[in-house]
Amino acid sequence: MPEYVIEIDSLTKIYKTGKTDFKALNNVDLRIRKRDFVAIMGPSGSGKSTLMNIIGCLDRPTSGTVVIDGENISTVNDNQLAIIRGRKIGFIFQKFNLMPSMNAVKNVALPMVFLGGSKAERDQRAFDLLEKVGLTNWATHLPSELSGGQQQRIAIARALINTPAIILADEPTGNLDTKTGEQIMELLVALNREGKTILLVTHAIALKRFANRVVNMLDGEVTEET
Amino acid sequence: MIGDIFTMALETMKSYKIRTFLTLIGVIIGVASVIMVTTAGNSVSTFIAEQWNLFNPTGMVIGLGTGGDVPQLSIRSVVFTTNDVENIKRLPSIKNVAPIGVVPVNKILRRDGFLNWQSRPGETMYASTEAILEILNMELEEGTMFQEGKNEVVISKNVAEVFGSDQPLNVGDTIYLRRVDGKTLEAKIVGILKQSSSYSMFNTLTTPGIICPEKPYYSSYFGSNAGSILKRVVAYTILLAEAADTKSVLEAQNEILSYLEGTGSDASQYKDENSDFVVITQQYILDRVEKIMNVIRTYITAIALISLLIGGVGIANIMFATVTERTREIGTMMAVGAKRRDILQLFLYQSMVIGLLGGLAGCVLGASGSWFVVDLLNNSIKNLGGAFSTGEIQLTYAPEWFLIASIVGILIGVAAGVLPARKAAKMDPVEALRWE
Repeated sequence: MPEYVIEIDSLTKIYKTGKTDFKALNNVDLRIRKRDFVAIMGPSGSGKSTLMNIIGCLDRPTSGTVVIDGENISTVNDNQLAIIRGRKIGFIFQKFNLMPSMNAVKNVALPMVFLGGSKAERDQRAFDLLEKVGLTNWATHLPSELSGGQQQRIAIARALINTPAIILADEPTGNLDTKTGEQIMELLVALNREGKTILLVTHAIALKRFANRVVNMLDGEVTEET
Repeated sequence: MIGDIFTMALETMKSYKIRTFLTLIGVIIGVASVIMVTTAGNSVSTFIAEQWNLFNPTGMVIGLGTGGDVPQLSIRSVVFTTNDVENIKRLPSIKNVAPIGVVPVNKILRRDGFLNWQSRPGETMYASTEAILEILNMELEEGTMFQEGKNEVVISKNVAEVFGSDQPLNVGDTIYLRRVDGKTLEAKIVGILKQSSSYSMFNTLTTPGIICPEKPYYSSYFGSNAGSILKRVVAYTILLAEAADTKSVLEAQNEILSYLEGTGSDASQYKDENSDFVVITQQYILDRVEKIMNVIRTYITAIALISLLIGGVGIANIMFATVTERTREIGTMMAVGAKRRDILQLFLYQSMVIGLLGGLAGCVLGASGSWFVVDLLNNSIKNLGGAFSTGEIQLTYAPEWFLIASIVGILIGVAAGVLPARKAAKMDPVEALRWE
């Protein structure tokens, strides 16, 4: 097992917008250990979304190396990137991003569909995870029949189904009221205690306290808060 | 995994029921119209081909006209002599020859009591021989054939009823035929023809009302009008012939032409320089009919295929809308590990299923729709009256078009789905997730 689950060295990301280049990330170095709960903070435009997209294997660096759980993602093709993403990353989004036409179990099981495996195995695991997030009774409900907090719990269960190395939570409480948001954060803390590495991307300073490490971003550069 | 993605595709379609249904309708109508048009075309051409069954399959008509690739028969002058009839009959590939001498009759009279005469307008009357029956596919229902030189005739079922079906003419009755030259000839009915099973609307030429021997009905008339020119030689405008079998039709045609065009025939001396001898076979007539029908069928099928194409455009349109609308879902699927190929399959399966279901439903609708179309055509045929009203179009499916239409339906489904599915698969996950 590598000591670090994320190893980023001199990562630069440049977006070409028309004739001018925009440097979203400038020579970023970052190492994240297993079991870390890292809050990545910063105002919009600071580059935190870009960093999250690259760590989440949704985007590629312009230069530098990014190693996720032992896999160097700078050099792989789209197909391999999708497989790494499916296996190693669990996404939690601000707007939950559930499939509106699928019930809770199917939503939770979705990432497993793309990795193969039997339906029975998928459903069993999805059901177990729904139990873990306290939604057993809602297993056959559609997202539209559930509250925001319940939907985010389903999204968390979905993020866990392929036992990823990293949970990437992008403003997970942004669409929830304070109380529900707190509950979701408690759930993430509990997962962290069980040994999950969690990356929380947010600009809500109030969430800082849940993390054991805070990384601040500004103008594409990283500063560690101690 | 492919099965799982297929199931996902089906479930998505289920959750967009109305949209799926509307897309299906486009394909269903397209496939159904192709099937209805081809079935109707097939049924009508079978019907028309039957109508053009003028002679038996080995039959042919010999006359004057213009030759070439598309020969035209024109009834102009009397050139074929009894001598020619005999000589043609002896050609190796010929089984039988019958002359046709038109006897113009403007009145049919019946004596109904001592001074009481009933009169009806004239009917088509041919002077010929017994051979005409076989060549024109006719049979006697009762009685016998006339004897040459006697005042005897054979009449059709229709003529038997000219004085009313309640007082039909029977074998043994005597009628009087008033020719256009004013002469009235006595005629004893010796036979009545069977009503032809497929009454044709095109065969007035080949369904005579009265058949009579050349003597006394034709030769006396002929002699009085044209005898001075032709030195009282009996001659005909048209001959009917029959080849020995279906294989020798072409040979028979060639033998007849070379005989007639040669110096040995009487006809070659009597014909004028501007006309050619023409032999039109039953096979040729059917070929011509089939060619014309094919042109019409191709044209209508092309129109029907366009409607299938429009169905395809409908699929593409809806799939594009669906892909755009589901951009964020596509982004999410990619985020949780969907490969580009998975996304491509997901959308391709949807359009494929729409094509397949539409194709199958279209076949069912097309098959039952064809029944209505043919029924409708038959009703309008009946309303036309006359010779048409006795014909009936039989529903004749064209099975190959069921296959073609469903395959084209599926292909169009796939083709229409390719671009939208590629659009979905090529999305940048970051952009897709950001989509509002």
